[in-house]
Amino acid sequence: MKKKIHWAPYLLIMPAVLFVLLVVAYPVLNSIGMSFQNYNLMIPGVRGFVGFKNYITVLTDSLFYQSLLNTVIWVVFGVGFQFIFGFILALILNTSFHARGAIRATVLVPWVTPGVLIGLMWSWMYDGNYGVINDVLHKLGIINKFIPFLANPSTALPSVIVTIVWQGIPFFAIMLLAGLQAIPNELYEAADVDGCSRIRKLFNITIPSMKNTIFVTTMLRIIWVANSIDVIFSMTGGGPGYSTHTLSVYAFKKAYGTLDFGIASTLSIMLTLLLMIVEFFYLKNFFKDAE
Amino acid sequence: MVKFVRALSAALAAVIVAGSFVGCGSKTSSNNAASSNDNTPVTITHWLWVDSADYMQTMNKIADDFHSKYPNITVKMQTYAYSDFSNTLTTALAGGGGPDTASFKLTWTPAYTQNNYLLALDDAVDKWEGKSEILPMLWDKMKEAGGGKIYTMPWTWQVLYVYYRPSYFKAVGIDSVPKTFDEFIEDIKKCTTTINGKKVYGFGLRGASGGQEPWGSFIQAYGGRFADENNKVILNSPETVKGTQVFIDLYKNGYAPKTAVNDGLAELKTMFNNGQIAMFIHHIGSSVDMVKANGDDIDAFPVPKGPGGQWTSMGDTENVVIASTKHQDAAIKWVEYLASADAVKKWDLATGNLPVVSSVAEAAEFKDNKFMKVSMESQSYAGIFPILPTTANWVNNVWAPVMQQALMGKISAEEAVKQLDAQLKGQA
Repeated sequence: MKKKIHWAPYLLIMPAVLFVLLVVAYPVLNSIGMSFQNYNLMIPGVRGFVGFKNYITVLTDSLFYQSLLNTVIWVVFGVGFQFIFGFILALILNTSFHARGAIRATVLVPWVTPGVLIGLMWSWMYDGNYGVINDVLHKLGIINKFIPFLANPSTALPSVIVTIVWQGIPFFAIMLLAGLQAIPNELYEAADVDGCSRIRKLFNITIPSMKNTIFVTTMLRIIWVANSIDVIFSMTGGGPGYSTHTLSVYAFKKAYGTLDFGIASTLSIMLTLLLMIVEFFYLKNFFKDAE
Repeated sequence: MVKFVRALSAALAAVIVAGSFVGCGSKTSSNNAASSNDNTPVTITHWLWVDSADYMQTMNKIADDFHSKYPNITVKMQTYAYSDFSNTLTTALAGGGGPDTASFKLTWTPAYTQNNYLLALDDAVDKWEGKSEILPMLWDKMKEAGGGKIYTMPWTWQVLYVYYRPSYFKAVGIDSVPKTFDEFIEDIKKCTTTINGKKVYGFGLRGASGGQEPWGSFIQAYGGRFADENNKVILNSPETVKGTQVFIDLYKNGYAPKTAVNDGLAELKTMFNNGQIAMFIHHIGSSVDMVKANGDDIDAFPVPKGPGGQWTSMGDTENVVIASTKHQDAAIKWVEYLASADAVKKWDLATGNLPVVSSVAEAAEFKDNKFMKVSMESQSYAGIFPILPTTANWVNNVWAPVMQQALMGKISAEEAVKQLDAQLKGQA
């Protein structure tokens, strides 16, 4: 007997599918296409298919490797510290204390503030002449002279990482808090009966129970942080020199600084491929453990 | 395993979405197809940048006056930040949109003319009654930029000179402004001290974008040159390295603020107004604000002559008609009006720029201005960067990161000059 096809579900999801194709598939395919073309708006008459030339150019460019290294540092330390501090904050917010609701709402402020605004605010705080951070450190006697945090290659990248950590802590805190609240209280009660310490409960109950939440939040944040440019761009523009130049900043500057959309697309595709590799191993290990 | 494949698919989709921000352009277009040959109302769009939001009041007044003169033409203004202006304009034009007219810089000309984005204005200029009023050297520069053709209508110009704080010169015993580059460097060193209990740096060094202009004065003072008479780049020379080394040493030896590698114009003006720097290089466009902040304790002197020559950067702003405009006549009338004595006087009095119209430059308001006098004094040795297809990119994206690396000691002055030379030649 021939099975009857139900068209209604397909019709219902069609608008969403068409929308996704328009706003996601088209730009992605266009970017892939441009990465195989000589596509520089400043140089007319040379647009056309060049095979893997752009990929060879990128792979033989020393700035690509410096940007890649900066991206790795940016993501590992940026996401790592966001997770650690976000987790600590979630554990604190999960306890009972006065005005907990108001404080839970307040901690979201950095997350809902636009990245460019955060960048401008922190650049003034870091300012080597008038910055409040220098002023406080100086008044506390920790430093003798003001430090030009964003003008020094050894402090510029750590400084922007501190900023992105500050911005991302609330995301982890709120997501992990939701995970914490879903853990059945009976597990802790049973652990109490068995005489477990708080540390043991953390590692044997809390963290294993939140594995899915931790996995999803860190995976999303790795992608977002690797692709983010607003904070770095508004604070340092990738400088001084190339000390805060990440791959996404490099792609953005190639696209909208030199109008070389061919190389910019190539850099974007490379970053996408690198993130896919990272996420592939991340997912593989996660599901291996789960099984 | 099914779970794994599903999750993997979701992750890949998320990665691609997040990673694919390239490939989206902007497109704007004019909305009026009527011509201005008859009296059909037309609206033209003009893109510009302004150094201060207050200046838009003057610009709107000029547009209103123009509308009174040509009631069928309305000008719609759109402002963009200068730092992104050229790239935004190019992207819009490449996408088939963009304005009818726009503010412009001479050094951008080759990049635009090779894409046929600009309308040649030779015929219109020949017929224009105001042609003889424009300073002749400006027509020469514009023709040079357009490879023999005129694509730009003059608007304003500025010459860079050195701002200084007279009370600081007095405090450290400097009786007169420096006449040679060596004296200039010596005075920078003398001013790097504590004055009135405040740590003062002798020179506000601009390491961020825009710093290529003061740096240009340093290298040319020691004999370096951007290009020869045939416009062939000859930047890589021992003289350029020497000038660059002097520039770097000011930072390395503490005669410029530690923040200099990232300092742009806004930072320098703030530091000058707060008394943290004794001197910095910029043009008359900053004078209105800075006189308000500093009263009489601000003056200027021309960039001094060095052992290898004397050079200062001539800043310019022109207006262009976009080749794809559907309202050529109206657009030409507008850019001609902007270069008229009436519009130039209004704009330059508000912004402190130098008039391109000789009769306006002779007016008492301009002639008696001390900063105008220094500008006119500097005019004879003022120059522009070589006009090459690579110049716009070199100025906007190359100079600052290369020089920042040299200032931070990551590369030598020789290496910095080598890289700057190669990039200006389009070899890297």
